[in-house]
Amino acid sequence: MSELALDIRGVSKRYAEHTAVDALSLAVPKGTVYGLLGPNGAGKTTTIRMVLNIIAPDEGTISIFGASNRDYRTIDRVGYLPEERGLYKKMEVRRVLRFLAELKGVSARNADHRIDEWLERLSLKTPDKDWGKAKVDELSRGMQQKVQFIATLLHDPDLVILDEPFSGLDPINAQALKDTVVELRKRGKTVIFSTHLMDNAERLCDSVCIIAGGTKILDGTVASVKGAHGGNNVALSIAGGQERLAALLADQRMIDKVDDQNRFFEVKLHQGADPQALLRAIIAAGVEVQRFELVQPSLHQIFLEKVGATGVEPGMSGHG
Amino acid sequence: MVRASRLMAVIKREYVERVRTKWFIFTTVFGPVFFLAISVLPALLTVRSVQQASGPDIRILDATGSELGVRVARAMRERAENNTLQKVVSGSTPIVIIDPQIVRLASTALAAAESTATIDVMRGVTQGYLVLDSATVATAKARYAGKNASSLGAMSQIEGALRSALLTQRLEGAGITGLRADSLARVKADLSTERITSKGRGGSGLVSAIFGFLIAFLLYMMIILYGQNILRGVLEEKTTRVAEVVVSSISPETLLAGKVIGVGAVGLTQQLVWLGFAVAISAYGLGMAASMGITTITMPQVSAFQLVCLVLYFLLGYTFYASLFAAVGAMCNSQEEAAQAAQPVMLLLVASIILVQPILAQPTGTMATVMSLLPFSSPIIMPLVMSGTQVPAWQIGTSLAGLLLACFGAIWVSARIYRVGLLMTGKRMSIANVLLVIKLGRRY
Repeated sequence: MSELALDIRGVSKRYAEHTAVDALSLAVPKGTVYGLLGPNGAGKTTTIRMVLNIIAPDEGTISIFGASNRDYRTIDRVGYLPEERGLYKKMEVRRVLRFLAELKGVSARNADHRIDEWLERLSLKTPDKDWGKAKVDELSRGMQQKVQFIATLLHDPDLVILDEPFSGLDPINAQALKDTVVELRKRGKTVIFSTHLMDNAERLCDSVCIIAGGTKILDGTVASVKGAHGGNNVALSIAGGQERLAALLADQRMIDKVDDQNRFFEVKLHQGADPQALLRAIIAAGVEVQRFELVQPSLHQIFLEKVGATGVEPGMSGHG
Repeated sequence: MVRASRLMAVIKREYVERVRTKWFIFTTVFGPVFFLAISVLPALLTVRSVQQASGPDIRILDATGSELGVRVARAMRERAENNTLQKVVSGSTPIVIIDPQIVRLASTALAAAESTATIDVMRGVTQGYLVLDSATVATAKARYAGKNASSLGAMSQIEGALRSALLTQRLEGAGITGLRADSLARVKADLSTERITSKGRGGSGLVSAIFGFLIAFLLYMMIILYGQNILRGVLEEKTTRVAEVVVSSISPETLLAGKVIGVGAVGLTQQLVWLGFAVAISAYGLGMAASMGITTITMPQVSAFQLVCLVLYFLLGYTFYASLFAAVGAMCNSQEEAAQAAQPVMLLLVASIILVQPILAQPTGTMATVMSLLPFSSPIIMPLVMSGTQVPAWQIGTSLAGLLLACFGAIWVSARIYRVGLLMTGKRMSIANVLLVIKLGRRY
């Protein structure tokens, strides 16, 4: 077993009104991308804040690279992007970045060099315009998000924790974020991010943990999680004929569950049902099939199954 | 855990970002002008208004058949002239009656004249009227009616004038006549004051009083100004959510300490600049005065010990209030909420400054002693009292020790509130919440 980047053991956090995190244990291997999945209010942010020693757990221990997270030298190795983002609005971008780097122990001179690199890389500094000299509130929201992202990575952390990193990102910034996560992984860094967007998690993560109501529902590598929930699943895409298909999918002798996304369907077949029979029936009904594939269940399906649609606030379980 | 390099980073940011602003440059340059305007101008205006007050004064209805009315009026005028800046500074109400109007009449016409006078007072033609009837000379009893009948200053002036006029009148009745009676009755005592400290005679009492007043006011202004500045800074970090990024790198205690020290350094910078101005201006002013042949300007004499105390009181007082303001900022979510929640802290400060005048008038009184020992008022009151009188060393020691203790208390309490409040958004912390946070600290 490789060394652990993050080791959470039996951590609980209780507030007067409710228990935010209940006896949670997690192990994140070094050099992996780890997804912390759960509906809103599951305790993801509370867990992350405890990892960063912003709030103290009532019980349990947290260690990062084998050292206590109560030691700020340990925390220096962590880069954190909070869910609620914000910067000093009246400050020059470069000064904000330098300040936040200094808080992590990077000297001002070293920081300047890295800031230039990052600004150029995320095209905030071009031959025409250097946004580093602008005040934060002169930047668009997308640009501010880039600056915040730079601040997270400026001190070259070994462990990067991103809380809901995709929320509010436009597709271009989201892609840049995914690219960066992949690149960090290649350089041997560990990335933990929380999300409720299962598609991103499914594509990016080596391992995941699903939490709800402050407790762990399941965890493991994406492959093992899917394997454990392997069933008779069919991914189906069609170009038309939704009405005719609906009649077939309503057959409960054959079909357990359907996730209907209009042109894409994730179908869980009844135990022992024959997928070939379903395909024949669909074609016979004249539905224009584009794709019919036997698949493992998606994380999205597993998530819905495990957490239950009731645990998810409306509109919060969408694909990203 | 506070790490020096990280603390320096916070101090640097707080300091540089403030000193770079136009606001700082503006207040540094125009601060002294503004300060003079609000501290010295009202005093000067009062003096001028006393000297130049015109219009309706009071009416003296003299039915004594003697010179008493004339004498009372003359005594009033003299008292008005004796009114000096000293009286303004020492807090006594300025004297306002300058030009009384004398109406001599027979006893029988008195009733009618009184009703006319009453109507005139109601119309605002005159402020009031003094009735001297036939019994006044014998019984020393007179009546006054007017709009200003509740003004202690005006009443004591009238009473004093009447007393001295009656004295002259009676001296004349006893056979001492004319100028001799006048000079006997009109003894004008002129008290010039000089402070004596254990180190000897310490210059003009008036000058040190004015100096003490200015110092107290300056300390008050600086503490309010920079305390509020801290409050706004905390609020900004909280509302922009940048606080979470910062406290994920350093402890909230480091952030709080850096903020208080950084902003305090801005305040000290500003004061140093002002001190420079003051030294330059007074050197220039004294040179000018000397060239014009004026050599008797008294400057406040400040010992090195006093100066050290002054700096200590500023630093500790500022730290005490800054910590409280920071805690208030962390408890709130908007400027409006903060303005309201800061009221109790402001009240402590205002309570100190409104007592400046009475304490200046009686720097050795019980109130002065108590207020200079209580931690919330000592940073303002003790320097004031020290400029007015010799304070026993044990009192200064006790006061400083108490203030230091209060500082630790304030920092401890506000660090706890700060840690929790900084991340608590959406609603303002309730009193119960705050108490729980103070009790539980990090475990909250």
